[in-house]
Amino acid sequence: CVVSSSCKNEYFDRPPKSQITVDNFYQNAEQVNASTLLLYSAPWFGYSGKGGWSITEMSGGNGRTYSADIINFQDFSVTGTNFEISAVWNSLYIEVAQANAIINNLPTKVPASVDGAVVNNALGEARLWRALAYFHLVRVFGAVPIIENTFDYVADYQVPRHQVTDVYKFIVNDLKFAEANCYAKTRSGVSPSNAKVSSGSASALLAKVYLYMQDYANALAEANKVINSGEFKLYGIDVPGKSFADLFLTANNNNEESVVALQWAGNGGYGRGNPFQAAVAYNSQITGTGDGYGQMAPTFDLQDKFDPNDLRRKATYMLPGDKYPEINQAAGGYTLPADANSQGTHAQVKKYVVGTPADNGGTGGAQSSANNTYLMRYAELFLIKAEAIMAGAKTSADPEALAAINTIRRRAGLGNLAVIDRTGFVTNPTYVAGSNKRGEHWATVYRDDLLDERRREFAFENDYFYDLMRLDGYNKTSHPIALQIIKQQDKGTSDSQTPPNRYGNGYLTNITDASFVFPIPATETAADPKLNEAPVPYVFK
Amino acid sequence: QNGSTVVKGTITDEKGVTLPGVTISVKNAQISVISNIDGNYTITVPATGKVLTFSFIGMERQEVSINGRGVINITLKSSTTSLNDVNVVAIGYGTQRKQDVNGAISSVKAADIANIPQVSVDQLLQGKAAGVTITQNSGGPGSATSVHIRGITSLTLSNEPLYIIDGVPVSGDANNRTTSGRSQQLSGNNGETGVSPLSFLNPSDIESIDVLKDASATAIYGSRASNGVIIITTKKGKAGNFRVGYDGYYGIQQQGTQLPMLNLKQYAKLQNALADVIGISRRGEFANPELLGEGTNWQDEIFKTAAQQSHQLSFSGAKDNTDYYISTGFVNQDGTVLGNDYKRYNVRANINSQVKSWFKVGGTMAGSYSFQNTSLSNNTGIIYTALLSAPDQVVYNADGTFAGPQADQVGGQNNPVQQALRITNNLARYNFNGGLYADIKILKDLTLRSEGNGDLNFSAAKLFRPTYNNGPRFVNLTASLQEYNSNSVYWTWKEYLTYTHTFAKKHYLQATAGHELININYKDNSAGVQSFLSNDLQSLSLGDAKTATLGEYIGPTDVLESAFARAIYTYNDRYSLTATFRSDRSSKFAQGHQTGYFPSFGASWRLSEEPFFQNLKSVADNVKIRLGYGQTGNQAVPNYLYGSALNAVVTGQGTGFGIDKIANPNLTWETAIQKNLGLDFSLFNNRIDASVDFWKKSSKNFLFQAALPAFLVGQTAEYSGTGVISPPYVNGGELKANGFDISITSRNIVSKNFKWNTSIVFSHYANKVASLYTGVPFISQNVTTSFLALPVTRTQVGTSVGEFYGYKVKDLFRTPEQLRNAPIQFGRPMQTGSGGTYLGDIQYEDLNNDGKIDANDQTFLGNPNPKFTYGITNNFSYKSLDLSIFLNGSYGAKIFNVLNYQIAGLGSLYQNQVAYVASFWAPSNPTSNVPRPVAGDNPNLLNSDRFIESGSFLRIQNVTLGFTLPSSLAKKIKVERLRFYASGQNLYVFTPYKGLDPEIGSVNQNVFLTNVDLGRFPIPRTIVFGVNASF
Repeated sequence: CVVSSSCKNEYFDRPPKSQITVDNFYQNAEQVNASTLLLYSAPWFGYSGKGGWSITEMSGGNGRTYSADIINFQDFSVTGTNFEISAVWNSLYIEVAQANAIINNLPTKVPASVDGAVVNNALGEARLWRALAYFHLVRVFGAVPIIENTFDYVADYQVPRHQVTDVYKFIVNDLKFAEANCYAKTRSGVSPSNAKVSSGSASALLAKVYLYMQDYANALAEANKVINSGEFKLYGIDVPGKSFADLFLTANNNNEESVVALQWAGNGGYGRGNPFQAAVAYNSQITGTGDGYGQMAPTFDLQDKFDPNDLRRKATYMLPGDKYPEINQAAGGYTLPADANSQGTHAQVKKYVVGTPADNGGTGGAQSSANNTYLMRYAELFLIKAEAIMAGAKTSADPEALAAINTIRRRAGLGNLAVIDRTGFVTNPTYVAGSNKRGEHWATVYRDDLLDERRREFAFENDYFYDLMRLDGYNKTSHPIALQIIKQQDKGTSDSQTPPNRYGNGYLTNITDASFVFPIPATETAADPKLNEAPVPYVFK
Repeated sequence: QNGSTVVKGTITDEKGVTLPGVTISVKNAQISVISNIDGNYTITVPATGKVLTFSFIGMERQEVSINGRGVINITLKSSTTSLNDVNVVAIGYGTQRKQDVNGAISSVKAADIANIPQVSVDQLLQGKAAGVTITQNSGGPGSATSVHIRGITSLTLSNEPLYIIDGVPVSGDANNRTTSGRSQQLSGNNGETGVSPLSFLNPSDIESIDVLKDASATAIYGSRASNGVIIITTKKGKAGNFRVGYDGYYGIQQQGTQLPMLNLKQYAKLQNALADVIGISRRGEFANPELLGEGTNWQDEIFKTAAQQSHQLSFSGAKDNTDYYISTGFVNQDGTVLGNDYKRYNVRANINSQVKSWFKVGGTMAGSYSFQNTSLSNNTGIIYTALLSAPDQVVYNADGTFAGPQADQVGGQNNPVQQALRITNNLARYNFNGGLYADIKILKDLTLRSEGNGDLNFSAAKLFRPTYNNGPRFVNLTASLQEYNSNSVYWTWKEYLTYTHTFAKKHYLQATAGHELININYKDNSAGVQSFLSNDLQSLSLGDAKTATLGEYIGPTDVLESAFARAIYTYNDRYSLTATFRSDRSSKFAQGHQTGYFPSFGASWRLSEEPFFQNLKSVADNVKIRLGYGQTGNQAVPNYLYGSALNAVVTGQGTGFGIDKIANPNLTWETAIQKNLGLDFSLFNNRIDASVDFWKKSSKNFLFQAALPAFLVGQTAEYSGTGVISPPYVNGGELKANGFDISITSRNIVSKNFKWNTSIVFSHYANKVASLYTGVPFISQNVTTSFLALPVTRTQVGTSVGEFYGYKVKDLFRTPEQLRNAPIQFGRPMQTGSGGTYLGDIQYEDLNNDGKIDANDQTFLGNPNPKFTYGITNNFSYKSLDLSIFLNGSYGAKIFNVLNYQIAGLGSLYQNQVAYVASFWAPSNPTSNVPRPVAGDNPNLLNSDRFIESGSFLRIQNVTLGFTLPSSLAKKIKVERLRFYASGQNLYVFTPYKGLDPEIGSVNQNVFLTNVDLGRFPIPRTIVFGVNASF
């Protein structure tokens, strides 16, 4: 090949050698099945790193910090230049972009030789994950741009935000597609085959989304569909010999209670493993990998919500003297030292804190552990069911609703409720004017059995602030109840007496209605100033 | 014989060394002799003989009229050295006499860059060639340098020139953008990882550097030439005796400046104040700050005085039609920052032989090995950590173990000394660079050159994070190791014909036509493992196999096939025309878009040769006007952009696949169009030589990577970019640039004993975006620093590339009245605490006068591009003494001091701050301009002009004082030349900039992040003592 004219064109065709090209992929069922795996993991890293739990737990009042990188979430002063807010936005939109790629590629690239059901299942998975990403986006940022195909905007990305109600409609459409097209499953045991989402996973998410939309009839119907299907099982109730604490061990990844979970690669290195314990574990003796920064610790407010007999307490947060035989097994277990007090509340996070690589089958590394992160657990369906039955009522003694919530309470070792009380603010019987003491500080207290149960059950599982957000209704910009609840939360610190005297310095005045929507990153509004404008309706395709 | 005479004489070279083997012949007669061992000759000249010619390989041929003389002693001049101005310039695929050049070419000779203690060639060019802007991106040993010829041409592609080293093309892109986009180096801290692609070359081996600036000169390199071309020619053996040369120096380097950080007393006061602001109790040990001492000065702990040395030994000569140059060198540069050092060993052999009168062969072989330690890299690395480390923290505990912050000190820094000393992060690079050629004289005027070149690189990077106990807060029980090996194989094969003929004495023609094939392969693999039983043996085989990770990248082979032609026509030494044409076909684009065509024209007129000019010659001479026009391309884009592929990602369910990019099957060449008007002249009997060039660049089908917002393709989140879809590369938009380059050399004093020369280079450039790709209103570029992700620059139509963008500070809120009357800022109520706006906060200007401060109140805040750069060199010599003073400067650039977010942000407990912020605004300190402390992110930290500073500087770049042994003495000790010198590099910087060093460069050579200071390694001050000797 000396002169151009004699060169065959092929000489200049040089595709990559260590990557499969899009046109060579999706050629058989295995490849189609593998095409969705990424959606279950790495794109969620930025959300899971710090931003996600800073929003749900710190803004929600379950956690507190001194750490400058996330302190603004605790006092509602986040700006658009906040690194973690960028991480949340960027991460969720990575998920949307990769899901879109699958949704748009599969119909054109898969040959007819591949069973249509396989393709539809993968499409269903991709749409479920896209829906989940948008469900997170709409709860954090409110109105956001809906993107179905990146290519539509490459030449002009001055895209407006779309109205919140349309984002929800978009989510419901995707989840309905997933419900209709993903495989149905019955789960048993801890198994990798439980990792992938099913039609039942989509139904479960639909139940939750409908609940947010206050479409109680559909929420109940979907919750019942899931519960009656028998696809999932509750640890400690349907699966004997297992407890609430077992749900959060790496060994029990993909158990029967797992509805949707992130599938971290423990040996994948930074960005591919679970980053949670690195940030919140009290110290590096727990993690064994140099991380463990104790950046967030439980607030007194959260601690006050737990009955000492609640079996979930020790699995949710550590108190000085608590011993965890599963952590640092090489040293005979880990006991939280008496002076552990990384955030001034004499307690540290336990949920999702799983210990050293050796404690977890040799997998996991610095800032990357191998335990799954639940995006939904079967237990939530029971609480959704109860809430959907009540449909906004202040109290209920509906036997089905009671059965549902009491199932969850029973597993936690708590007594049955006879009435579910969601009265709201009631006079505080122990109010003492001027007191800083627990239970005496506020003239009113908020009474809501369902909200409290959800808070205890899902503390540190990235949910509580979203629950507070929806208390005042669907798509509301005014949040009088949630505002008051948050203002009354004790997010303060204490001294080192036994028991500690609380400083009562955690009560917030900063929070406003606007605090329930986080700012879109300044880097994004800089690139697309239309994001600063009022949202518009979405034209559904 | 009848009428014949005998002529005798001695032949020497310029240094007076006698030359044996010189051919002396009588012109137009078949008579010739060869000079003997002492350089003497005797020739019998027939009556018809009028002229003798003297020829010798490596020397300029001379013709001398006999005029009846019987003794003719001749000094032959080297044909390649630069001892006078009649020299040869490399123009690509050939050479040309400098006076005939039609394009804009700056030449730097060995002597200009000798004795400057720099490791890499690119750094040496600083201030030496007009139109070339060089900034060291880091003062760290072995780090990458940005070389921009006439500013920048491209937005997202590399702006580094193409280097041609003895015919072997080497890309200046430190980030391997065209192959894998990966650097050879690893970083322990998400820092910069670029390495100098030129650092394998020993500067002492360089004979000359020719910088081809305008397109009429560079277009012969077609699609790779739009950033200019730098042709580096290494030394050849010279006629004369066998010569041994030694060049060496030894010296020390030290950090010139320190930032004034808080001492312990001041720090304690600040911590108390911050505790009050954040609402926690003050620390007991800080109850009375006045009782405290100075505390740890962490800058003292990480900066150190470091040795630097370089030795080079060369052997050269020419005999029997063969010349050779063999050299070996060693450089050892210890870093002034703990944990950094650089070593290099290299060898080179250049051999050329005129085997037959019609056949010449030659070859170059160069090999090098370098080894670099960078425990924590530039930007957010060790300097950053040291500056933030608290003065109440100590380096070592009483028992000698490393110390660290207390368990609950969230925000405290891990011990930088421990990290610098214990983290292993090294890079070994191996390079083989060489080629062979044959020149075949087919006809008298027609020569074929056949040449094959190769550039082989192998590099091995290793990052080992040991277990440590910097307790109580920082303890690591699990050591981890990452290894990353990459190799690239690059070969070219070219054939070209050159025809040279002078018709009718006045019409000179040189025509060249050829074909070239370039083939680039790139491959890397990475592996990691953790859980080691010991920190001492750092091998992949010793970790826990269960934790192993693997990755491999095999780049698509990159093929470039080209045909090129050039014709140079000169009439009567007065008028000259050059035309070049090149076509390139590249595998980077899809079929149908692969071939690009790049024509150019140049013309010159030597006014001073015209009859009417003769009377002016005593005032001005060598006056030449040059005009050039050319089109060049830039193909420094990654491969396979025309299709999408899948990136494999490890997940909990096995290997997952993510789309890698948005493909653009229509992607094709960009064409840069450049025009040049140049004027060369000398004044007052050549006492002053000057060259002025005005130029304009523009481009069509501009090739760049679209900057899409995250909501379309995702973006790096929490430092992880896994799954992010790369935006497409597109053709579109236009960048316009213009400027002028001036170089002046003046021989101020030329007396027998005392000489004084001054050279000045001065460059100005400005660029402006004329249009951007459809739908792209502007390009916004971000930096992340600790807990902030900030847009810092914006590039749009009408602006320069990478202009700083943000808010304007009006003042602080000093009184309640101001607060009440001012526009609401970012919707924040008037209240204390970090969610509100309060006294001591920054008041921004309401630029759009809408009564509120929001994102719409941002504007352009400054340009990172200098208005001009300059270099001034003064050379003095008095008898055996020589003194050179070289000043280098830049004027008018702005710097975005991002480091101040960290060290002046007042945002976090347990972190040290720069001293002046301790006097922050408080009711008791009402005149301060430092805003009140607020925890975490807050509007005071927005991208605003309070972080923008002047980046002008004047650096005393080099002062060298030398002493050369007088030749009479030298001869006695059998030495040809012996010189001793002392040289000081970077002696002082005059600058208003408050950071460590105003020369920032671009973050990873990204032009949108030019002059963004993230805490880069400052350039050290170096003083060396050296010897140049030849025997």
